[in-house]
Amino acid sequence: MRIIKPVVYALLGLTAGIFLVLGSRQNKSDAPAGFTMVEYWEKWNGPEFLGMKAIVDDFNNTVGREKKIFVRYMSMSEIDRKTLMSVAAGVPPDIAGIWDQQVAQYAAIGAAEPLDDLAKAHGITKDYYLPVFWDGCSYHGHLYALVSTPGTVALIYNKQIYEECSGALRAAGLDPDRTPRTLEEFDRYSEILDKRGADGNIERAGYIPLQSWYVPQLGYWFGAEIADQATGRPELDSPEMVRAFTWVQGYAKRLGERSLNDFKNSLGNFDSPQNPFLEGKEVMDQQGPWMANYIRNNKPEFSEVLVPLDRQWELKDRRANCVWGVGPFPSAVAGKEMVSYNSFDGLIIPTGARHPKEAFEFIAYVNRQDVSEKLNILHCKNCQLRHVSADFLAHHPNPYIAIFQELAAGPNAHCVPVSPIWAEMYQEMIDTSQAVSLEPVDPAEAMHKAQARMMERYERVNRIEQERERLGIN
Amino acid sequence: MTSEERRNFFKGMAFISPWIIGFAVFTAVPIGLSFYYGFCDFALTAPRRAPLWIGLDNYQQLFHDVVFWKALRNTVYYASMALPAGMLVSLGLALMLNARIRGQTVYRAIIFLPSLVPAFASAMIWMWMFNPSMGVFNMLLGKLHVAPPDWLGERLAMPSLAFMSVWGVGNTVVIYLAGLQDVPRELLEAAEIDGAGTWRRMFSVTLPMLSPVIFFNLIMAIIGTFSILTVPYIITSGGPNKATYFYTMYNYDEAFKYLNMGYASALAWIQLAITMVLTGLAFWSAKKWVHYG
Repeated sequence: MRIIKPVVYALLGLTAGIFLVLGSRQNKSDAPAGFTMVEYWEKWNGPEFLGMKAIVDDFNNTVGREKKIFVRYMSMSEIDRKTLMSVAAGVPPDIAGIWDQQVAQYAAIGAAEPLDDLAKAHGITKDYYLPVFWDGCSYHGHLYALVSTPGTVALIYNKQIYEECSGALRAAGLDPDRTPRTLEEFDRYSEILDKRGADGNIERAGYIPLQSWYVPQLGYWFGAEIADQATGRPELDSPEMVRAFTWVQGYAKRLGERSLNDFKNSLGNFDSPQNPFLEGKEVMDQQGPWMANYIRNNKPEFSEVLVPLDRQWELKDRRANCVWGVGPFPSAVAGKEMVSYNSFDGLIIPTGARHPKEAFEFIAYVNRQDVSEKLNILHCKNCQLRHVSADFLAHHPNPYIAIFQELAAGPNAHCVPVSPIWAEMYQEMIDTSQAVSLEPVDPAEAMHKAQARMMERYERVNRIEQERERLGIN
Repeated sequence: MTSEERRNFFKGMAFISPWIIGFAVFTAVPIGLSFYYGFCDFALTAPRRAPLWIGLDNYQQLFHDVVFWKALRNTVYYASMALPAGMLVSLGLALMLNARIRGQTVYRAIIFLPSLVPAFASAMIWMWMFNPSMGVFNMLLGKLHVAPPDWLGERLAMPSLAFMSVWGVGNTVVIYLAGLQDVPRELLEAAEIDGAGTWRRMFSVTLPMLSPVIFFNLIMAIIGTFSILTVPYIITSGGPNKATYFYTMYNYDEAFKYLNMGYASALAWIQLAITMVLTGLAFWSAKKWVHYG
């Protein structure tokens, strides 16, 4: 028995020794000697992760080598929360890839460093960018992020089903060879494209607002602002917003609340062959340019009707090769055309990052025109920059990329409302869209209630902000 | 204390110090801090943005917050169904599994198995079973020519989740079974000799002797139902139209989606207070129905 005690002590000592020698610590082994290592956390995995990995490798082998900077790139789930925790703990990464709606949120709570001086030093100004993305990266007049990949939303439609229903469309005075030009026309297309089974259940829907990822932003197509551009004050009960949600309710009324709900619950996941658009269960949807990638992965025959996909073809031939087409999502406001919503993935330097200058070298590299085009081709997205090459438009994996690019550059391009309470507003509008679709609720009343609740939040945030300023606690 | 006792005391403390330090750093200190943050505007980004003392503002705001009341009502509604259903079903199953029947261990294993399935996996399975078009429930109802309900629609979503919660009672059943082994056989035999039938023996001997175990399971069920999050978050995400939006979901959203950590701390303390009041009521009532020995 006397042997047990020394053995236990020896084992404990050995374990402690192993932890001390091999345990967690800042790993600098990836970076060559004399290089500054920039930690970069990103939300992506799969092909999108690999797309950015190619850019990181390019940087490390060119600009990074020249300036003695090495970027260590890590895929991170729940990037928003982990970045925030790391800021709180004082050990943030040098770069974090967050979602657009978090830029204002992080800026408001001091979790991101302003980038104005760094951007200016690198010659990155508003003129270099498409205004909509520059505005989305700014908060209270300061720049807090730059775009890694943008995503402009357009109308995507199934040409084959348009063709199938061409007789009915023509009989109604509509043209099956083009997309609807007004929202009123869009509703008529949608109704004709709906299909019901013998039991009355929906088998195919022309369009379902509730199925769209962009219900909270629908107001833009009705001329609304959603939030005041200067102050971020919610404007949810404006006549335009009420009109937008009345339109959402109109679809539920026409299709039947119960039928619509059953149909919605029966639809498959977006990133699967059961995607309702790919299954032909939804004829029109609001989507970004990345849809071409999902089509290629989950239903390649959608882009290979005539012969296998070939990016070297002329654009018109490539488009003819697709079962699907793209057009601007029509506006409800007469004369206001090319309305779009523009989302993006942003790169920020979290507060307390150890190497902000070196981090920005990489962010600036990602925003170099040739690099940005390469990354956005790999991600199948449009480009955030004002100028893109003809090659980008001609050989992008999405043959309709020019439409997305034009929408983003247009005068009616909108981005995420820059408000410190956008996350709450977003959820409020999701809830309201469900309420008006599932219950006999008056949209004006529902939006008024939503506005009242959001105003309470907004005023509270302002009140606390003023108190902070008064006490000098920021 | 002799020097030997002192030495042993310090030795003992040294051995348990990892747990004491761990508890202090990862549990006691965060609990204390969350109490303080409940009175602050705080978004995790100190020292850049230090917590700002705002007194009772978070708590006052909370009582005017319609989502707070909605989430609380939903949680109480769910608890009022899931708690008694879980208690009755687990107790009933334990009593049945305690009977000496052929294949008893197999039945016990079958009942226990679902509680071993990860929450995410079981949520996905149930989501498909509840599916209005392809779900097994509606397929069976269709064969019986019964109009298939929308199980996860606004009206039925909450009862469906409560029904589903019964699926994971395996752990509670095992605790009941252990308790049933401790019911003195001599008491049951004495009752039988005195002419007590099966039901009489159950209500006059088995259940009173099992009451401390029932009480334990009741306390655990109160805590469990009031802190439910994972499964409804996966299946309904609180919808449709906030019909299944639970208190813990709201707490989570305020903390990590809206970054109002101070407000979320206040919500957490209110949740603790509610759970403590309910647990206190259970303890108060226990004097009347729990029999020790």
